Amino acid sequence: MQTSTIDNRVSKVVADVLKVQPDRIVPCARLREDLGADSLDLASLMMDLEREFNGSISDEEAQKAATVGDIVALISAMASAGPTQAAPTAS
Amino acid sequence: MKRRVVISGIGVVAPNGATTESFWKACLDGSAAVASIPASWRQYAVFGSTLWAPLPAVDFSAYRISRIEQMQQDKTALLAMAAAEQALAGAGLAAELRDEKKNIFSLSSLDPARGGVYMGTGVGGIVSFSQNQNHHLQAPLAPHVAPEARELLRFPARFHPFAVAMTMPNSAAASLGIRYGLTGPNTTVSNACAAGLCAIGRAYEAIASGTVDFALCGGTEYLNDGFGGVFRAFDIARTLVRDCGDAQTANRPFDERRSGFLFAEGGCAVLLLEARDAALSRGRTPVAEITGFAESFDAYSIMAPEPSAVAVSRMVERACRDAHIDIRDIDYVNAHATGTLLNDIVESAVIERLFGRRPLVNATKSLTGHAIAASGAIEAAVTALSVNRKTTHACKNLDRPVRQLNFVRAPVTFPIRNALTQSFGFGGHNAAMIVSEA
Repeated sequence: MQTSTIDNRVSKVVADVLKVQPDRIVPCARLREDLGADSLDLASLMMDLEREFNGSISDEEAQKAATVGDIVALISAMASAGPTQAAPTAS
Repeated sequence: MKRRVVISGIGVVAPNGATTESFWKACLDGSAAVASIPASWRQYAVFGSTLWAPLPAVDFSAYRISRIEQMQQDKTALLAMAAAEQALAGAGLAAELRDEKKNIFSLSSLDPARGGVYMGTGVGGIVSFSQNQNHHLQAPLAPHVAPEARELLRFPARFHPFAVAMTMPNSAAASLGIRYGLTGPNTTVSNACAAGLCAIGRAYEAIASGTVDFALCGGTEYLNDGFGGVFRAFDIARTLVRDCGDAQTANRPFDERRSGFLFAEGGCAVLLLEARDAALSRGRTPVAEITGFAESFDAYSIMAPEPSAVAVSRMVERACRDAHIDIRDIDYVNAHATGTLLNDIVESAVIERLFGRRPLVNATKSLTGHAIAASGAIEAAVTALSVNRKTTHACKNLDRPVRQLNFVRAPVTFPIRNALTQSFGFGGHNAAMIVSEA
């Protein structure tokens, strides 16, 4: 997956979940301090990223991601590892 | 002095209609949603009942419920928000976006400090609860399960971080209060199948007493866990309808060949109630007026109605006194009428004892199935619409009535001035509401 594609898709998810303008979503933007995310926002963000990229983000990885750039790196690593085998869903 | 209380707007999401008008039209057309239960459910159990009333698809985004909110909320709350938007629109009230980030709204011309929320639910966020429990138990197990058995596992990829908020029964009422900034009382009633009507009754009493000036109220339920577990709980108690070869004719409240109730996937009705003077000052003609309400309790059995229905009788008499009408002034009875053997025989007897054979009687569950707490609210909506439009729907599949009451056999136009809607819940909870011309 191309980095620019990951950047764009991450930006869209961050914009959707945190309700911020796209021009504020830059690699060095801090999720809490700059984009106003609280703990519930961050939890929703990780869930939506898992949906968008069909992957799994561990709690440990999620806690380390402090900036938009950290998320892009995390997703890039996840994309390199390949898609996870999705569990049967409840509905 | 007690204030008069009117119904200004109604929102409905039911198996036979996803909006108030489409639902009402379906009722008058005799259109019911009935289907075989999903084949995947039968992997887990042998069921006595094989039918249910599925909900239509709802585009929650059309009700300004964001994709992220849909991810964070149980269906009971989403249904309540959709129905509330319908009710507010029906009342001619604009809900203006107040904070884009939080997706919350303000109601034009209404003081949010004088607004309350009263919602009923039987089992609240049970579907969210069961999905998260499944993840908890099955996710560690999954890698060790043989591939051919893995399809039996049903769990979401993640234990939801909002699990508590989605499970708690008050989430629908809380979501409505947050959405519209209403800081009056916010109450959730859980009286099983009577909960929706009880919640509306609480709202009526709060406005009548001056505690609040307006209220969003009703009932919401969502029961599809994806594998038939909730369905099984009702099925094993032998409460559900049996297939009779033609799925469309299986659900038959008040009929001698009834066999139980039709399990509904869920549903919701939300009513906007206002003090009558305030509604009229906005230049709106209310749908109907709530003139009386009463409750009682059987104190008999956790799952069966008390056979003499003496508590029901006293309750209906009290509701009529509350409405300052004579019992003979009731023109129409919207019955609880689940289609179970016990309920319908007991209820038809008490209706005849109280009213004789004069008032029109019908059974909305013959068209919607039973959506537990939502049904009482949906039936209050039907009662209000019937009073407003001087017409009501027929009892579907009623061929040989268990008792000779004045059952509606075809949609009828009638000068309905006062109507009774009643709901009875597992545990023995009874509620009765009088709805009158506005």
